[in-house]
Amino acid sequence: MARFQLFSEDSETPVVDAIRGRVLLTLALGVAVMLLLDLLAGLAGIEIAEFGGRTLGGEIELSTVGKRIWTGTIVGLIFGLAGIGLSMTYSILNFANFSHGDLFTTGAFTGWGVALLVAGWGVGDAGYLLLARSGTGPSSTDIGASIIASPLAILIGVVVAAVATTGVALLADRFVYRPMRDRGGIPLLIASIGVALALRSTVQFVYGPQTRGVTGTEGIERTDFLGTGLSVDLHQVTLLVVALGLMIAMHLLLQRTKLGKAMRAMADNKDLALVTGIPTERIVRATWILGASLAGIAGFLYVLERGTMNYNVGWFLLLFIFAGVILGGIGSIYGAIAGGLVIGFVHEVSLIWISSDFNAAAAFLIMILVLLYRPEGIFGGVTTA
Amino acid sequence: MSEQETPTEPTGESTDEEHGDVSAKTDPLAAAPEESLLEVRDLDAGYGDLQILEDVDLDVGDGEYVTVVGPNGAGKSTVMKSVFGLTTYMGGTVVFDEEEIHGLRPEEIIYKGISYVPQNDNIFPTLSVQENLEMGAYILDEVPQDRLQDVYDRFPILEDRKSQKAGSMSGGQRQMVAMGRALMLDPDLLLLDEPSAGLAPDLVEEMFDRIDRINDDGTAILMVEQNAKEALRRCDRGYVLAQGQNGYVDTGDRLLADEEVRQQFLGG
Repeated sequence: MARFQLFSEDSETPVVDAIRGRVLLTLALGVAVMLLLDLLAGLAGIEIAEFGGRTLGGEIELSTVGKRIWTGTIVGLIFGLAGIGLSMTYSILNFANFSHGDLFTTGAFTGWGVALLVAGWGVGDAGYLLLARSGTGPSSTDIGASIIASPLAILIGVVVAAVATTGVALLADRFVYRPMRDRGGIPLLIASIGVALALRSTVQFVYGPQTRGVTGTEGIERTDFLGTGLSVDLHQVTLLVVALGLMIAMHLLLQRTKLGKAMRAMADNKDLALVTGIPTERIVRATWILGASLAGIAGFLYVLERGTMNYNVGWFLLLFIFAGVILGGIGSIYGAIAGGLVIGFVHEVSLIWISSDFNAAAAFLIMILVLLYRPEGIFGGVTTA
Repeated sequence: MSEQETPTEPTGESTDEEHGDVSAKTDPLAAAPEESLLEVRDLDAGYGDLQILEDVDLDVGDGEYVTVVGPNGAGKSTVMKSVFGLTTYMGGTVVFDEEEIHGLRPEEIIYKGISYVPQNDNIFPTLSVQENLEMGAYILDEVPQDRLQDVYDRFPILEDRKSQKAGSMSGGQRQMVAMGRALMLDPDLLLLDEPSAGLAPDLVEEMFDRIDRINDDGTAILMVEQNAKEALRRCDRGYVLAQGQNGYVDTGDRLLADEEVRQQFLGG
C-alpha cells in the first residue's frame, strides 16, 4: 500500500518521507528528468555549460530522436519475438534454454540460404547461394534479395527459417532433452549450453566463419513513406508487420484454441495436466515447434533488417533476449514481448545520450532497476505462457 | 495391529444378496459390494524403489461412496494414486469395470471413466474458471456443453465467475473448480484426495454436502480424508489403512462405533 502512496498525509515532511526508503528510485527519477531536460534543451538548440567541459543540451535533431525510437521499436520487436519461445520453453519444459540464440542463428542461415537461392537463381552457383554466399560469387547487390526485388524469396526464406529451426529443435529435444526430461532445470540448462555450442559450430562449419552481406538494398529506403514525409526502410516495415502479425497469432492461439489452452494449463500445473488427460509430450512438441519457429523467423528478420550476418549473431543477442524475458516476467509471452520491447528501446534510444560503447549497459541497468522494484517482472504472476 | 485379519475383510463372497445394494447406507453388514466397479486385490505399490502399499484390498461398488481413513503416512493418498497410475506398480491387480488397469498410465486410465482430484494444486490458476472446466474435457473432441451446464448448475458460483482466473478464487471455490473439472467427463468413479484439506471449518460441511449430492446422482466415490469422523459418517463403507496395509473395513457408522478404531485412529 505504502508503495503506491507518494506522500504521507500526516507527515510534516512529506517529500523527505516519500524519498526515504526509495533512494534508488528517486535517483533514477532524477537521472530521467536530467536526461529529459537535456533532450529538450538539445532539441531547442540550447547549450548550457555544466562542468568538466560537459554541457546540457546542445544540438539534437528531432529526426534523430524519431529515428532512434523507431529502430528501438524494431530491435525490441526482434527481442520480443525471439523471447516468446524462450519464455515458453521455460514455463512448459521448465528450463532456461541457452541454445535459443543459436536456434535464432539457425533460422537466419537456413532461411537466407534458401532466400538467396530463390532470389539469385541463375545469377550464381546454387551451392554458393544455398550456403549464404560462402566462398566466392556474385555480390549481395547482384543477387538482390530484397522485399522489393524478390518478395517471394523473402517469404520462402521466412518459411524455411521456421521449418528448419523447428527440425533442429525437435532433433535436439528427441536426442538430448527428452531423455533427461525429469532431471530438473539445471541439468537441462547445462545440456542446452552444449547444444548451443554444437549448433553454433555446425553453422560455422557448414556456412563458414565470415561475416557476409545477404540482402539487396536497392529501393529499400523510402524517403517519403506513403506520403508521410518520413524516411522508412521497407525491410524494417516488413519486420514490423511480420513480427506484429506473429505476436497477434500467438496471442489468439494461446487464448482461443484448445492447444493454446492446454499449453497454458501445462505451464500452470504439469502434474494436474497429466491427470486431466492432456497429452503432455504432444504439448511439449508443440512448444518446440512454435518456439523454434518464432526464433528462426526472428533470426531471419533480424538479418533482413541488418543486412549482414555471421555465425555468432544469435549467441550475442541471447543475453538481450534473456534480459527482456526476465524483465517481462519469465514464463509469460506477453512479458517476453513487453520486456523485449523495453530492452530494445533502451538499447537504441540511449544512444541519444551515450556512445554505442555503453548502450548495452544502459539496457541491463534498466532491467536491474525494474527488477529491484518488481522482482517478479512486469507480467510475472499475472498471466502464463 | 495392521497385520491382523479383520473379520469383515471384503472377499467379494457376501452371503447376503442385499449387500450389493449400494443405496442402502444403513446396511448393517459391510462386505464388498456384489459386483465391484473397482476391485483392488493384493496391491503392492510405491515410489521408485520405496514400497508403500502391501497387499491392499479395496472395493468400490457401482455408485458406492467409500472412504479411506488412517493415520498420517499410512498410505491413504498412495492407494488413490496407485489406482490412477501415478505410483510405481509392484504387484497385485486393479480391475475397473471388468478391465485390468494396473500398470496403465493416468492418461490412459482417464479414458476408462475414472477422474481424480488431487489434494493440492488441483486447479490451473492462471486459466479462467471456464477454461479449467474445458481442460477437464480435453480428451473429448469438443467441450460437451451439456456437461458444462451440469457443472454450472451444480456449482452456480462458477457460472457467475466463469471468466475469473481460478487462482484468484477462495479455497472453497477452488475446490469446486477442481471437482467441476473432474466431473466434466461424467466419470463412473471420482477419486477425491482430502477434499476438506485447507478449507475453513465452516466450509467443510458444505463441501461434504456437495460430495453427497455428486454421489446421489450416481457417481461412485473413493475418498481419502483426514477428517475421519465426518468422512465415515457420510460414506457407505470405510477402510482404515495403517502402515500401507488394510486395517479395518466396515460401514462408516460401524467403524465409528468400533471402540478399537475409535481409540487408535479417531482420537477416542
